[in-house]
Amino acid sequence: MKRVLSFFGAPGVMLARTVRAGAREGIPWRETLAQVHELGGRSVWLVMSGMAFFGAVLVMIANAQAKKLIGNVAVLGPAYFEMLIRELGPAVSALLTASRAGASHSAELATMSVNEQVEALEMSAGDPYADLVAPRVVAGVVGVPLLSVLGTVAATASAVLVASVALDIDGRAFMDARYVDGWDLLVGGLKVVGCGLYIPLAAAVAGLNARGGAEAVGEATTEGVVAASLGCLLIDLTVSLAFQFVRL
Amino acid sequence: MSTTALAWLGRSAMRAVGGVGALALVAGRTAWALRGLERRELARGLVQFGYGSLPLALATAALAGVIVVVQAAIYIQRFGARAFLGWAAGYGVLWEFGPLLLGLIMSARIGARNAAELATLKVGGQIEGLRGIGLDPFALLVAPRVVAMEVSMLALSTFTFLVSILCEAVAAKLTLDLPVRVFFGTFAQMLSPSDILGGVVKTGAFGLAISLVSTAVGLRAKGGARAVGEAAASAVVLGCAAIFLLDFLLTTLLSRVLG
Repeated sequence: MKRVLSFFGAPGVMLARTVRAGAREGIPWRETLAQVHELGGRSVWLVMSGMAFFGAVLVMIANAQAKKLIGNVAVLGPAYFEMLIRELGPAVSALLTASRAGASHSAELATMSVNEQVEALEMSAGDPYADLVAPRVVAGVVGVPLLSVLGTVAATASAVLVASVALDIDGRAFMDARYVDGWDLLVGGLKVVGCGLYIPLAAAVAGLNARGGAEAVGEATTEGVVAASLGCLLIDLTVSLAFQFVRL
Repeated sequence: MSTTALAWLGRSAMRAVGGVGALALVAGRTAWALRGLERRELARGLVQFGYGSLPLALATAALAGVIVVVQAAIYIQRFGARAFLGWAAGYGVLWEFGPLLLGLIMSARIGARNAAELATLKVGGQIEGLRGIGLDPFALLVAPRVVAMEVSMLALSTFTFLVSILCEAVAAKLTLDLPVRVFFGTFAQMLSPSDILGGVVKTGAFGLAISLVSTAVGLRAKGGARAVGEAAASAVVLGCAAIFLLDFLLTTLLSRVLG
């Protein structure tokens, strides 16, 4: 029970403190840009290649299912595209970003707090929340949506390629946006913004609480990755279920 | 400009060849070291990797089940194939989402930890120390981790599949109002044991990939504390990449062999 409470509570407290500190002290824009590069630029190849593989695998699965049910996988194209924009694009991109950026954020912050650099920052009248956490949160909220757009594009492109090359069907059916409406974009958008907000906060909670030596850095890294990934899955699930209930 | 690009290409190619070589070396030496496997370390690994990951794996399994149903619901609403949900959801979780999500979560949890631990030992010169007193670090550190990871993944996959399918049935009842009996009717009718085998083979391959990649990355670490963090991050990245690559290859291969 205590662990469940701290899993949900600690990032919330972290968010409140960060917003307050950011409003009071201002957010260092130079550091924010550096973090956008760190989170976005350095994850972009992981997300795009991962999503490309994922799109290819999904087409193979859809083909196997369609063979049994409908006969022609191209019929599934529009529904598949909607599913990718609404559910899988945001969820898998965010999960990949969570493992890459969550690990590096929490390892960095844990190293800083283990080496007492956070205390040093406080001594020199800096605010760790405004100077360290806020830029990462801004970078997450900006970066994760951009990454998920790129990831979804990569998944669609590879799906089209695999369908037309390996399965010998018209792959362009997989780009058919017939079923995509504003609600789907809203659901996808809510998910990516939620995950972008959550990943840096979870990593910061794990990183700033690290105490001890090199061992503690490894421990904090694991904890940060796990919390960020699980949190992203939970956010995706909550948003999906909420909209499922509203629409039905 | 073009020379820079060429140099970059050459460096990347060399790095890739070096990485594959290191991986093959770790795999070979681990297989060789299996005879002298350290039992106590294996038991510790089993508790840490398998039992310790149980809550996370089960939470992931439950989430995977519900996500698959919510996704399959889109097909159901478009094509009106309510009765097929049991088959579609079972197929999705056994073949794809169960192994994939379990692999990603375990890569993040165990891969990062393995790499960080071995990198700390390597950076601290303790691996050289082991060699110095005539102990094989592969038998002592790597082989137990690989075996423990493999056994844990196979055991966890069983629980994962069970829990996700139960959660799917409940979610189908709650969101689509599909009777549990109908769900399991098509589930039992249209799925064969070979579908379960496909998922288990995939999970086993992911476990092997995660443990080999993370230990190889850890053993290659050079430098100070920074190298430890870098090893942890790149173990996660490479583990995820290996999982996606294997996933695609195995889906293509197994659906041809078993389907």
